[in-house]
Amino acid sequence: MIKVIDLHKSYGDKNNKVEVLRGIDLEIKDGDFTVILGPSGSGKSTLLNVISGLEKTDKGKVLYNDSDITKLNDKELTEFRKNNIGFIFQQYYLLQNLNVDKNVRMGADLISNKDYKDIIKAVGLENKLNKYPSELSGGEQQRVAIARALSKKSKVLFLDEPTGALDEETGRSILDYIVKLQKEEKFTIIMITHNENIAEMANTIVRINSGKVVDIKNNKNPKSAYEIGW
Amino acid sequence: MKLGGNMISIKDILKNIGIVAMTMCATLVSTLFINFSIDLKSISDLVTEEGKALYDAQLMTSKVVVGVTGGCLLLTTLVTLFFYIKIYIDNHKSELGILKALGYSNISISKKFSAFGLSVFVGTLLGYITALLMMNYYYDVQLSGGLLPIFKPSYHIELLIYLVIIPSVIFSIISVLYSYKKLKTPALDLIKGITKTKVKRVSIDDNKSFLEQVKITTFKEKKSLVFFIGFAVFCFADLIQMGFSMDKYASSLMKWMMYIIGIILSAVTMLLAMNTLIKNQKKNIGMMRVYGYQMKDCKKYILNSYKVTAYIGFILGTIYQYFLLKIMIEVVFKDIEVPAYTFNYKLFFITLCIFAVIYELLIEYYSKKLNKIPIKEIMLDSI
Repeated sequence: MIKVIDLHKSYGDKNNKVEVLRGIDLEIKDGDFTVILGPSGSGKSTLLNVISGLEKTDKGKVLYNDSDITKLNDKELTEFRKNNIGFIFQQYYLLQNLNVDKNVRMGADLISNKDYKDIIKAVGLENKLNKYPSELSGGEQQRVAIARALSKKSKVLFLDEPTGALDEETGRSILDYIVKLQKEEKFTIIMITHNENIAEMANTIVRINSGKVVDIKNNKNPKSAYEIGW
Repeated sequence: MKLGGNMISIKDILKNIGIVAMTMCATLVSTLFINFSIDLKSISDLVTEEGKALYDAQLMTSKVVVGVTGGCLLLTTLVTLFFYIKIYIDNHKSELGILKALGYSNISISKKFSAFGLSVFVGTLLGYITALLMMNYYYDVQLSGGLLPIFKPSYHIELLIYLVIIPSVIFSIISVLYSYKKLKTPALDLIKGITKTKVKRVSIDDNKSFLEQVKITTFKEKKSLVFFIGFAVFCFADLIQMGFSMDKYASSLMKWMMYIIGIILSAVTMLLAMNTLIKNQKKNIGMMRVYGYQMKDCKKYILNSYKVTAYIGFILGTIYQYFLLKIMIEVVFKDIEVPAYTFNYKLFFITLCIFAVIYELLIEYYSKKLNKIPIKEIMLDSI
């Protein structure tokens, strides 16, 4: 269970302060697929960064099974991310000087996962092990990022607009694959998007605007990636 | 950066302190030695049989010092200049892209980069003026043995042209040509910050861990860094040990010039190499930290990947200075009785210890510096 309590975050100095998160309260159950929905500038990326331990908060708590990660120092936060968190970003952020195999090993080696090649096979890249990111299409690069995130068997997977840079067909297949894996592996997904259609795939839809939660909806009938509009 | 007008400010030029320092040293040494050689040749008729050997030795020393020191500094200056221009273009990609999108041609933008030659002008001019101020003292030291006739320096104005004006003009032209080549990127790619980098394939044993593979890739993909780090440490080991060893054979002025040049040359080259390494690996380190790799791993496997190179550079620099000094003493002082030259083990170990401490401190500094950059900032940095 992830609990977010009265989360505040601002940027800038005293004279030029921009309050991005203004008292966020949230609960995410283990194994849930939560989408955080909001327009550009609503604070959804900052919320994801803070919940995942990439950024420090100004005020408030982020509890993972009653353990408050806002109290952790840099070293402890890094260790926390190593043991619990996986990321998939819109821009993939692959290591450009390493091939597919080595990019995936970046995640796998953290937990000494020797079976990481099965995940590469599962994302359909077994024939591109020696290709470099620049030699792959956007969809293939995102698959590498997925394999990298899954190879460390994260308990929580954070997705930051994962299909933002992909065409419809590739986007649908990527989402379909992630959801299929989530059902098998039972990890928690927290995805941010501004796309209302994609949100229909989640169990929980959290709408935020101007740094505040404006609505939380439980979706009893989540749609598949091929049923939603694009 | 001001669009269209004075694109490169004086502040940008002053940032090139490494170029100023190196060109100043090169011009200072060259002006002193060449000026002295010209004057010495002009009094060759007055040199006695007794002083002939010293006369020849002085001329030979001038040739070697100007060739080796001036050449090394000039080469390093050129590489440093390219590095600064590349960094400037990388840091101002979007503004340069907008200029191109507005219709400014590559050549009209790259002409502004001639301002980078100004840092060479400032350095060479400072070196020339310092040499003029030191000239009387230098002549007194060089002629103190009494074997050569005493003479006062004549100031050869042509040296100002050869050592200040011409290098400044050449470096300005090189800056324009290099920036022109670098600006051949489409305007949209510059605005969006898209960099098309050629990925170098590095074959590694698959059984090695991810961190080991990162270390090998970091080391192998940039051969230029291997050279620069090796060269920086080579210069440090070479010039510092040579400076100490020359105590018995040359003036203390020469010894101090060796120290200063050694420190400046190695410091500028090493900082240049480390900054390039950080720039290339910043995003990888950022992503590794996101995934849970500690900074100590990044330090060990990325920042320290050139450690062996650095120590090889030290050993080569030590061997080079030993043989160079041995040969120089045999050639230059062949007709003069001087103490025999032997390898100084104590000096070697002291220099090695100083180098090891400086190297570790440098790595620690860059590691701390990287650790202070928020991960978000690294990731938001254009790809």
